[in-house]
Amino acid sequence: MSAPTVQARGVFVTTLATLLSHYRRHPGQLAMLLLGLWVASALWSGVQAINASARDSYARAEALFENQLDRIERQDGQPLTLDDYLTLRRAGAPVSPLVEGRLRLAGDTVVTLLGIDPLTLPGDSSLARQESSATALRDWLLPPHRLRAAPDVAAAARADSRLPPVENDPSLPPATLVSDIGVAQALLGLDRQLTRLVVAPSARLMLPENLVRIPARQLASPGQLADSFHLNLTAMGLLALVVGLFIVHAALGLALEQRLGLMRTLRALGVPARTLVGALITELLAIGLIGALAGIFSGVALARWLLPDVAASLDALYDSRVSSQLVLPWYYWLGGLAITLGGLATAGSGVLWRVARLEVLTLGQAQAWRARLVRQWRRQALAGSVLLGVAAGLGVWLSASGGATLAQGGRTTLIAGFTMVTAALLGVALWLPALLAMGLQLASRALRRRPLWQWAVADLQLQLPRLQLAMMALLLALAANLGVSSMVGGFRLTFLDWLDQRLLADIYVHPDEGDYARLHEWLEAQPEVATLLPARHAQATLVLNADAEADSAPRAVPVALFGIHPAPVLARQWPLQESVAGREAAWQALREGAVFVNEQLARRHGLHAGETLTLRGPDQRERRLAIAAVYPDYGNPHGEIVMPTARLAREFGAPPGSLGVGLAEGSARGAARDAALERLRTGLAGQLAIPGEVLTDQRRLKATSKEVFERTFAITRALNALTLGVAALALLTTLLAQAGARRAQLAPLWALGVPRTRLVTVQLGQLVGAALATALVALPLGIALAWALVAVINVAAFGWRLPLHIFPGEMAVTLALAVLVAAGAALLPARRLWRSPPRRLLEEFAAT
Amino acid sequence: MLQLTDVTKSYPTPQGPLFVLDGVDLHLARGESLALMGESGSGKSTLLHLAAGLDVPDRGEIRLGGERLSALDETRRSALRRQRLGLVFQQFHLVPSLSVADNLTLQARLAQREDPAWTRHLLVRLGLGGLEGRYPEQLSGGQQQRLAIGRALAARPELLLADEPTGNLDEAAADDVLALLQTLIAESGCALLMVTHSARVAAPLDRCVQLKRGRLAVDEP
Repeated sequence: MSAPTVQARGVFVTTLATLLSHYRRHPGQLAMLLLGLWVASALWSGVQAINASARDSYARAEALFENQLDRIERQDGQPLTLDDYLTLRRAGAPVSPLVEGRLRLAGDTVVTLLGIDPLTLPGDSSLARQESSATALRDWLLPPHRLRAAPDVAAAARADSRLPPVENDPSLPPATLVSDIGVAQALLGLDRQLTRLVVAPSARLMLPENLVRIPARQLASPGQLADSFHLNLTAMGLLALVVGLFIVHAALGLALEQRLGLMRTLRALGVPARTLVGALITELLAIGLIGALAGIFSGVALARWLLPDVAASLDALYDSRVSSQLVLPWYYWLGGLAITLGGLATAGSGVLWRVARLEVLTLGQAQAWRARLVRQWRRQALAGSVLLGVAAGLGVWLSASGGATLAQGGRTTLIAGFTMVTAALLGVALWLPALLAMGLQLASRALRRRPLWQWAVADLQLQLPRLQLAMMALLLALAANLGVSSMVGGFRLTFLDWLDQRLLADIYVHPDEGDYARLHEWLEAQPEVATLLPARHAQATLVLNADAEADSAPRAVPVALFGIHPAPVLARQWPLQESVAGREAAWQALREGAVFVNEQLARRHGLHAGETLTLRGPDQRERRLAIAAVYPDYGNPHGEIVMPTARLAREFGAPPGSLGVGLAEGSARGAARDAALERLRTGLAGQLAIPGEVLTDQRRLKATSKEVFERTFAITRALNALTLGVAALALLTTLLAQAGARRAQLAPLWALGVPRTRLVTVQLGQLVGAALATALVALPLGIALAWALVAVINVAAFGWRLPLHIFPGEMAVTLALAVLVAAGAALLPARRLWRSPPRRLLEEFAAT
Repeated sequence: MLQLTDVTKSYPTPQGPLFVLDGVDLHLARGESLALMGESGSGKSTLLHLAAGLDVPDRGEIRLGGERLSALDETRRSALRRQRLGLVFQQFHLVPSLSVADNLTLQARLAQREDPAWTRHLLVRLGLGGLEGRYPEQLSGGQQQRLAIGRALAARPELLLADEPTGNLDEAAADDVLALLQTLIAESGCALLMVTHSARVAAPLDRCVQLKRGRLAVDEP
């Protein structure tokens, strides 16, 4: 190695060691940097670990074959039989049978059991590939057979004596077993019944009229359905990352400002600027790696803790099975490191740029640094104005375009929505220091007659450069908190209202088809029963562009049909969003042959009340039906059409479904209701030999729905609270880091005769005042965020729009949180000041 | 050792350029000590910064040991400062997070010229023996300035540039530091260019020059 290289290395090592020695004397600053990185990286990595695991589950489910093969089902929604299959095979159709059902294993584990026929399964499906060897096929088909299990349920499957020998199969989706179709039919009790038939998309076949082919591309994959859920999680994780990086930026700025003198000395002693910047980059990298790794490992722990709740939510919301075990691909680790180091580079680039540009002779002048800060505020405000302009422009565009749902390919709308929110949040955050400075200037004039408070305001103006980032982080966290709380609160209010309006019967009955008629008759005869509300379900095909010219061919999509009994009780309460001539007229139209469509379907295909739609039923006849109203249908990811039950049974062959039971006036409330329910259950068991459990109390249904709702937003709330915690931490660490310098500024006041109690009050007052001013800016921002969430992001992500609710209580909570965060953060430095012995203050006074 | 020829330096102001140095010629021989005096704002510190390569003149030439400073890039000027110069500031500019021992050897380590025997000798001569583990804030003003002088001399520079080294000290401490500075300069054989506004401080040095409104007024032997 050449002498100059050795010397350059020596200079670099000595410079780095000297720079790092700063943290030996100021371990709090190092802790603050690491804490910021750790928290930011932990929340982001936690969310990404959840997303990665869920995506792995979706990928395995999709890879299985569900979305690779076309599906054949009966038009009337009834199960297919072995005879249907045999008829098709005899006609030469290359179809393969499949059964699917839920099976409860010993130990209460519920799994999805898939039964397949490997001999007829199209050759390119993942299952067919796995049974391709002769030995494997023989083991599969002949007793004692073989069964493949996803890793998370393999142990439970082995423990169940009913099952054939179990093989572990990591390619299967979570909680899934696959066996030969005969084995599955026996286990699921589906004698000669099939769930569906599958066929390769390339296969040509003629189907009898009672069967319908659903192309693979039309089947929504679980990944697509839950996409919006994960997008929301990612947005929350990103917010936490940004807030965490504010801490890092604040800590870096402080560590630099306190080392300006040291850097000037090093430059004067002959350390080139390049070496100094290089050493700072190395320092950043080392700290970044430690913080990122700690954050990623903590994120994995956080994800492990949250994943069971998320998995339950996804199961309840989208019927998507997500493993509650973490599966993390290699790129997760690299991605976590890259995003944290990238964030650190962004936060630190400004600092490095300034060090590289500053002249040696001005390096040590804090005054020059502050002058630059004022210029920086002006630039920040300018950048903030540009961002706010972008947000306003996007808002106008989104309002004008009316938004598009994900199912319509509205990913652009969703991204535009998130961009608008990000631009608005950052735009206001960038304006905050300038706004606070203006507010302080006004306060300073108002407090001329109160010298101590006037000093406090002037002092706060001096502190602002150091506090600004923590205040910006607080602003973002408070606005996000208010926005998300308003959205969730509004959603809860609307959802509960909607539940009350939709679940009108006191009891719901789900009988077997064979029991339906006699149960109906028996219930009608009971004195406790006032009304019966039968409901049915069926499938049909919605023909779009039926009237179109030749250049846009008609398109057929499967759609769910829901039959209801338009009794007065339903007509009074069932929620409607849009109708032609009011509620009464809409219900009358429904009774006379019109239909209602849910909001999701209406938005997806641009349908409105007063228009018509074309439905193709099992008889292949197309019916033109008038749309009498559009109704909200929260929690349902699919489109749905409502018509009277009788018509659904008559024209669309809908089998009997559930029965809603309205209790008579004397039996509808309190103990009388419980007694009536019990009497009906006993009567059912005794007189009809039907287990009483088929009766479900509406209150239990509502409770379950509420529980699903709460669990869905549990993670949002958890992340929200953590983000606010991070902002509090940013403020606390900023205050702790400058506590020493602050005491030196307060010491002269103490020497002038201001008691320490008063100094502590002033310090608390300064910070609480600044936090309150920040919260006042956060209020309109939070409301704007809530609007964007319900009117833009929700519509694009889920397909329905919520009314915007403003809760004065939530606004008061936001203000209180700001005070709490500021007081909490200021308490420790204030306590230190309070406990400082007069000798210490004297020393600091002498040093000023 | 140090040669300044027709050195001019100005700073832009709203009223036009302000000439801090205006055609200054100065020569300092090897081992010689020179006091640069003048009132506040006369350009003393600017001249020192130019001589150290911390700043560049608008016009004129500065040579240090035969090397033309304006011909060197920033990296080579840094290397020259590290290897051949020692700097002492009025505000000491010690590194608060390094111990006395580490502060003392900082420049020598940067220059890869650490000499344990010379360091030990300096420590004793500076009166800092036994205080190696302390930090600058635990020293008195006089001790801090002695440490700063020690740091500048630890790498055995050819030229020591000192900017008001006793400006922050009381009279007794200033005398003490000056005496030490002269002794150590004599022992190490390096030249000294010292900026001061005090005639008493300038008196023991070989030569003294006055700067008035950016020009050299007197050059006394």
